[in-house]
Amino acid sequence: MAYRRKKKNTAKKVVTTIIALLIALLGAYFIVPEVIPEAPATNIDISNIPAYSGDAYVAINNNVPYFEESDYTTEAYENYSELDSLGRCGVVTACLGKETMPAEDEERGSINNVTPSGWVQKRYDANLVSGGWLYNRCHLIGWQLSAENDNERNLITGTRYFNAGNSEEQGMLLFENMVADYIKETENHVLYRVTPVYEGNNLVASGILMEAYSVEDSGEGICFNVYFYNVQPGITIDYATGESELAK
Amino acid sequence: MNLIVCLDDKNGMMFNKRRQSQDRLLRERVLALVPGKLYMSAYSAKQFGENEKIIVCEDYASVAGENDFCFAEDKEISLENVNQIIIYRWNRHYPADKRFAFDLPARGFTKVSSEDFIGNSHPKITEEIYKR
Repeated sequence: MAYRRKKKNTAKKVVTTIIALLIALLGAYFIVPEVIPEAPATNIDISNIPAYSGDAYVAINNNVPYFEESDYTTEAYENYSELDSLGRCGVVTACLGKETMPAEDEERGSINNVTPSGWVQKRYDANLVSGGWLYNRCHLIGWQLSAENDNERNLITGTRYFNAGNSEEQGMLLFENMVADYIKETENHVLYRVTPVYEGNNLVASGILMEAYSVEDSGEGICFNVYFYNVQPGITIDYATGESELAK
Repeated sequence: MNLIVCLDDKNGMMFNKRRQSQDRLLRERVLALVPGKLYMSAYSAKQFGENEKIIVCEDYASVAGENDFCFAEDKEISLENVNQIIIYRWNRHYPADKRFAFDLPARGFTKVSSEDFIGNSHPKITEEIYKR
């Protein structure tokens, strides 16, 4: 009898332990992501990127993108990461083709309804920032390639210089022009991945990695791997918050 | 020798060993413009396809005769034996790490004509002709 009671007590303890473990695991699953923000997945270590030294972008990995053969497809798609718990965009990947681009008569709409993470807009002298306003809502995959207008999972806070460059330097737009015109001319597909790179819990990305590879001609037409610095010459940005001031 | 190049708004030609852009109607126009031999590298010939005017030669600058045409993309360019330059402007700005970095007036070239046309994928391409 005593043996049976002891066995019953042991079984009761085991069941209680399992229930407690399950509660702990479920709690961790549902609660932890709300408390500790997860950094958006990236395949680039920012410590390996040379510091900004006057050029809007720098080639990474000898301009060879990090795609794997299993990524190659001629079926158009677009995949936008969910915002993380800090409201930041993550990696966007796509196989771009005429299918993903806007129709000829399609007009670009407003994107002012989207407030990307770190959006603390400020106006400066137009001689310092083209147009005056420091920040643009920057499409990770440009509208001319994706026809994605006000998709919050595709818009980050970026400087004017980062987005469109200036009269001398070159921004993301030039690369988008090259890819768009290649697709229009050849009707081929381009694998495309844009990875915003954040340091820690910063709300403004330090930059983005843009990779592209034309599929049908095995990269003969389009092949690059470029990191763009999200900077504005003459302005100091607090990447943690998006606040900015004139450089001292 | 007559030199033919394609340039963007900042005189860019190539990025990462690849041409910045291409256009089927531009190629047709080039072939129609050239009465005789058209020299180019194997890289350029691939975009043109087969044509009896095209002569594939990696060292075309030293081989082409006075009246021949050379379509230049990936090879180094010298203006030494060039008496006419035909520039096709994309009227677009692309990334570039190879540029056509010549001051044409300083090298004795004068623009004698400029004409816009609609490409296959480019709404406006400008053909400029410079003569020494």
